[in-house]
Amino acid sequence: MPPFADSRPHANGFQQTKQDSTSNIVTIDVGGQLFQTTKQTLSLAGSKSLFSRICNSDQIYVPFIDRDPELFSVFLSLLRTGNLSSKAKAFDLQDLISEAQFYGVENLLVNSQSNPSQFEAFNLEKSSILPLNGRDSPSAIATTPYGSVHVAHGSKITSFDWSLQKKYTNLTQFTAIDSLLAISTNIVAAGATDFSGLQILDLGKGVVRETLNWENVTRSSSTVQAIGSSPEYMFTSFESGRRNSNSIMVYDIQGSFRPVLEMGRYEIYGADLDSAIPATKLSWVPSHNLLMASGSHSGPTGVSGNIKFWDVRSGNVVWEIKEKVDCFSDVTVSDDLSAMFKVGVNSGEVFFTDLRNIGGENSWICLGDGRKAMNGKKEGFGCKIESHGNQVFCSKGGDLELWSEVLIGSSREGEDGLEEKVYRKNLMGRAKDTGERRITNLGFGGNKMFVTRKDQQSVEVWQSSVRGF
Amino acid sequence: MEDRNSGVAPDRIKLNVGGKLFETTLSTLRTGGPDSLLAALSNRPANDTVPVFIDRDPEIFSALLYLLRSSHLPSAALRRFTKQELADEASYYGIETQLKSALLPVPLTGIDASIVSTIKPASDGVVSTFTTCDADGSVWIAHGGQISVYDWNLTHSGTVRTHLDYITGICRVRPDIAAVASDVVPGLHFYNFSNSRHVGSAQWTDPDDPRIYKARVAAIADSAESIYASYDCHHRENSVLVIDKSTLKISSEIFRQPGSSSKSVVPTKLKYVENLGVVFGSAVSSGAFGYSGYIRLWDPRSKTVVWETNEPGSGRSSRFGDPFADVDVELEGSSIFKVCSKSGDLGMADLRNLSEDPWVYLNDNNPSLRNMGGGGDGVVHCYRKQVFVGREGGLEVWRRADESEESTVNEGSYRRNYVDKEEDSKRGVIKRIEGGGDRLFVTRENVEGIEVWQSSNLSGAISVL
Repeated sequence: MPPFADSRPHANGFQQTKQDSTSNIVTIDVGGQLFQTTKQTLSLAGSKSLFSRICNSDQIYVPFIDRDPELFSVFLSLLRTGNLSSKAKAFDLQDLISEAQFYGVENLLVNSQSNPSQFEAFNLEKSSILPLNGRDSPSAIATTPYGSVHVAHGSKITSFDWSLQKKYTNLTQFTAIDSLLAISTNIVAAGATDFSGLQILDLGKGVVRETLNWENVTRSSSTVQAIGSSPEYMFTSFESGRRNSNSIMVYDIQGSFRPVLEMGRYEIYGADLDSAIPATKLSWVPSHNLLMASGSHSGPTGVSGNIKFWDVRSGNVVWEIKEKVDCFSDVTVSDDLSAMFKVGVNSGEVFFTDLRNIGGENSWICLGDGRKAMNGKKEGFGCKIESHGNQVFCSKGGDLELWSEVLIGSSREGEDGLEEKVYRKNLMGRAKDTGERRITNLGFGGNKMFVTRKDQQSVEVWQSSVRGF
Repeated sequence: MEDRNSGVAPDRIKLNVGGKLFETTLSTLRTGGPDSLLAALSNRPANDTVPVFIDRDPEIFSALLYLLRSSHLPSAALRRFTKQELADEASYYGIETQLKSALLPVPLTGIDASIVSTIKPASDGVVSTFTTCDADGSVWIAHGGQISVYDWNLTHSGTVRTHLDYITGICRVRPDIAAVASDVVPGLHFYNFSNSRHVGSAQWTDPDDPRIYKARVAAIADSAESIYASYDCHHRENSVLVIDKSTLKISSEIFRQPGSSSKSVVPTKLKYVENLGVVFGSAVSSGAFGYSGYIRLWDPRSKTVVWETNEPGSGRSSRFGDPFADVDVELEGSSIFKVCSKSGDLGMADLRNLSEDPWVYLNDNNPSLRNMGGGGDGVVHCYRKQVFVGREGGLEVWRRADESEESTVNEGSYRRNYVDKEEDSKRGVIKRIEGGGDRLFVTRENVEGIEVWQSSNLSGAISVL
C-alpha cells in the first residue's frame, strides 16, 4: 500500500459525489459520514467481504452503507494498520464481532486479536478464568489454531469461541471423555477409556456424525486411549475391552473418516508386558513425517513404558525407546527445537533427547538432578509436558515451568558432531499464582494458553498483556 | 469553503486524511524533521491546490497535527488513544521524536515526584538487577535469568532467556547488546537482543598465573568505546579489565590486586566519568567490626590511581568509626556522595578539589526528618544533580538549595526531603535506585516488579463530590 496517493484534480476537493473510476481513492458514506480510503486498503479485506465489493463496483455515486460510522472507522483502521484501535474499547468485543460478520471481515478481527504469531511465551500471565457450570471438573481440552477451545467435563462438552465471549454446551453419550481432539471449529473427535468407539461430534449441530470402532479378535468393545492428528490423517489408539489387544488406527481426516491403515496391532499371549501397553499419547512430528506414540504401565516393579516412532506410509516402527528406569510421566516432541522432552516419573526432572540423530540409542539428557532417577518417590507423578513453538511447558503439581533454548552464537560441538544445546527453565506466573491445585491439562490456541486444574470447575486463560482487548 | 480562485497563501497546504480535510502550513509540517513523511509532502509544488490524500485514520492524525503545531499532545488524545497506538501512527508519519519529547516525563525533580507505575514481568517478577538508558529512556531488567526490555513507553518489547540462572550485573553496551554477569558463573556474557542470541563471552585468563581461574564479574561500566569490568577469582585475586566495544574482546588490564585485605578486594561498583575520563570504583565489605571499603579513581590510559581513600583509616578522627555504606559519583563529574554506615550522614566530596579528606558532611535540620536512623543498608544514587538515598524502605532526595554553582559547598548547602510517603516505605527495603529518561526506577528486596517514579506538571486534583 502506498503511504499516500495523489488524487486527480477535482472540481471541489472531495466534496464530489461522483466516483472517479480511474482514481485510486474510494469514497464511502457510512451512516451519513464520509470516509475515504484507497482500493488497495479495501482489497486487504479479502474477496468475500463487503469492502472489496464496494471497491470493485463501478458505481457512479458514492456507495451508502446504513451502519454505524464509529464501528466502520474501527474496521477501516484495522485494514490500514492491522491492529485494533483503542476506539474499539468503546464497544464490546461482541458488538465488534457481529459488525465484522456484517462486513465479512471477521477473519481480520480474529487475526488482530488471537493470532498464533502473537503468542509470547515469556510474557504470558494469567488473564482470565472461564467458568464451567455444574460440578464436573474438566477431563480433557481441545484447542483450535485461532484460540477457540472445547472443554470436556463429565458427560458434557462446553465450547468457547475464539474471543472467549460466547459458549455453548453439548451433552454426549460418554460418562467422562478422556481424549478430545478438535478437527475443525465445530467438529471434534472424542473417546473414553470406558466407552466403546470413537465418536466424531458436530458440536455446532449437536449430533454424532460418525462412530468409529476397531474390530478386535475377542469381539469385545474397543475403548479409545488417545487421539492425534496430522494434516492428512487422524490417529486413534484403541484397546479391546478385555485389555488383551491394542492397535493404532489411521483414518482419513479430510474425507469421510475411512480407515486407511492399522498399525502395531498387538495381542497379548503370556507375560509379554511391553506389548500390552496401549499408546496413551499420539503426536505428529511434521519434520520427520513420523507419529510419536507413547504408553506406560505401572506395575509392582515400578513404571515401565515405551515410545515408538511410526512411519505412517509403511506402518513400521522407525525408532523405539524402552523406558525401564525413571520412565516418563509425560512426553512431548518439539518440532521447532527438534528434540523430544519427557518428565521422569521417579525424578520429576525434565529430560531431552535430540531428534536430529533419530534411531540412535536411548540418549536422554537430564536437565536437572539426574541422580534422582533412582529414587522410588515418584516425584514426577501426574506431571504434564507440552511443547508449543520454541518452548516447552512442564507442569509440576500446581506450578508451571517454561523451558527455552539459549541460542549460543559460538557453539561448541558435542561428541556426535552436533552442536550442544542449552536449555533453561523459568517458573511461570507471579508469586500469587504459585501453590495452586495440580494441573491436569495444558492447551495452546491463538495467542493463548489454557490450563485446567484438579477439582476446579473452570479453565484458566494465560495471555500476554500488550495488545489485549 | 473559500474560493479557490482567490489568492491562497503559498505556505498553506491541504491534506485529506481518510476523508477528512485538514489545512495547515508548510512550516508546521516541516517541524516533523527533514526525514518525516509530512516534511516530504511539504516539498510539493506550491501551486498544487489539490489536497494530498493520506489513507490513515483522521482522528489520530488530528492529534498528531496538534502535536506538530503546539509541540504537545491534546490531553484528550491520551485518554482516547493508547501510547502504543500513538507511537505506531507517529512512526508511520516519521515524527516519533516529536511524540517522544511530548510523551516523556518532565525533568525529574526528586522533591516533586510520585510513583506512576510498577513494571511487573510476567514471570520471575523479582528483579535481580536492571539498567536504564538515559538516551532512549528504555529500561533493561534482569529477572530469573531472563532479560526483559521495556521501551521509553514502558511497554514490553522483548525477553531473552540467558544461560545464567541469576543475573547480578547488567550493562547495555551497544544499542542491541547487553553484557550480563552472575556471581556464580565466571565471565562476562554478551547477548544480542535483535536475534536473542549469546554472541560472546569475556573471561579473565592469565597463562602465567594459575590463580587466575574462573573469575566472576562483580561490576560493569561502559564508556563510548570500552567496557570496564571488575573480575574476582576464587582466591580473591581481582582486576579491572578493559573490553573493546566493537570486538567484545579484552584489550587491557587497568590493575590487578591480591584481594587479601579490605583495601584490595574487588570493586563492586564501577562507573566511567565521562568529562574527567576516569574510572570510578568502590568496594564495601561489612563484618563483625562494621563496614570497611575504599573509593578509587583510575586513569584508564595511564593505568594509574588518580585518587583514593580507604575507610576506616583516613580522614578526620571524629569520623573514624563511621565508614561509608554506599557511594556514588555524579556522571556530570562534579561530586562523589557517600552515605555513612553508623550515623547515616551524607558526605560529599568535590571531584575538582580532591584532597586527603575532602568530605563535607551535609546536614539538614528539617524537623520532619528526625528519625534519621543508621545508614547501614543505605543506597545512594546521583541523577540530574540530585542525590537519591534509600534507607530501609524510605526514599529521600538531597538537592542543593543555594543554586550559586561557584560558591563552595558547606554543611547546610543541601536540603533533604522525602520523595515517598510513609506507606510507600513499608513495601520493602530498597535494593537499587537508578535514574534514566527522567524517571527514577526503584527495586526492593524480594518484592516483585520495579517501581517507576516521575515528576509531572499535572496537579492530579481529586474530586470529592
